[in-house]
Amino acid sequence: MKNYLKEERTKKQLTQVELAEMVNVSRQTIISIETGRYTPSVTLAIKLAVVLGKRVESLFELEKTD
Amino acid sequence: MTYLLPHRFKKIGVAIAPIGFALWVFMQMGMITHALNFFIQETANNHFAFHVVNVSIAVMSFFSFLAGIYFITFSKEKIEDEMVQRTRLDSFQFAALTQIIFIIIGFFSMMILEEPSEGGLMLFFISIIFLFWLSFICRFNYILHIKIFRSNHS
Repeated sequence: MKNYLKEERTKKQLTQVELAEMVNVSRQTIISIETGRYTPSVTLAIKLAVVLGKRVESLFELEKTD
Repeated sequence: MTYLLPHRFKKIGVAIAPIGFALWVFMQMGMITHALNFFIQETANNHFAFHVVNVSIAVMSFFSFLAGIYFITFSKEKIEDEMVQRTRLDSFQFAALTQIIFIIIGFFSMMILEEPSEGGLMLFFISIIFLFWLSFICRFNYILHIKIFRSNHS
């Protein structure tokens, strides 16, 4: 799954730590999502979308292999 | 995960596991017995007490190492989220696989090489237990504290 978390976070001028605190996860989780190592649960994806003021489908995108 | 201990137990585990391990190694090398001999001379009168102290130190060191490893393995991270839980599960699977491979290699080498002594067999079974926990700790902490941060910089 492709995601635009890093781009949207940078646009909002948030650090990984700040974003992690806003959605109650560890910084490692934010790094893992940004680098594509981890696909978040629906709950976390919605939380991230709400915090970044985006729709979930514009933050996360299915790839052909998914 | 219901059975995880609070995060503070991890710090306790990190403190007592190395102490227990060091004491156990010193015990195996006979250094504790030498030290005891230096402070309390073993005589026919205090032979039993001397032996009791020696065995007590051995048992205490072994179980403090065991408890320390248990605390490190089964305590929560500072922030216990879904990714940490998944990493924990992955690491348990990795540890189980490592253990199975070790058991298979161990049994085959025993069958092929030579009949193991009673002490050797006991050491093998103790190693099986520790290998599971140690491989879990190494894998879990490597992923969570090294691999992820490395991928962030690359």
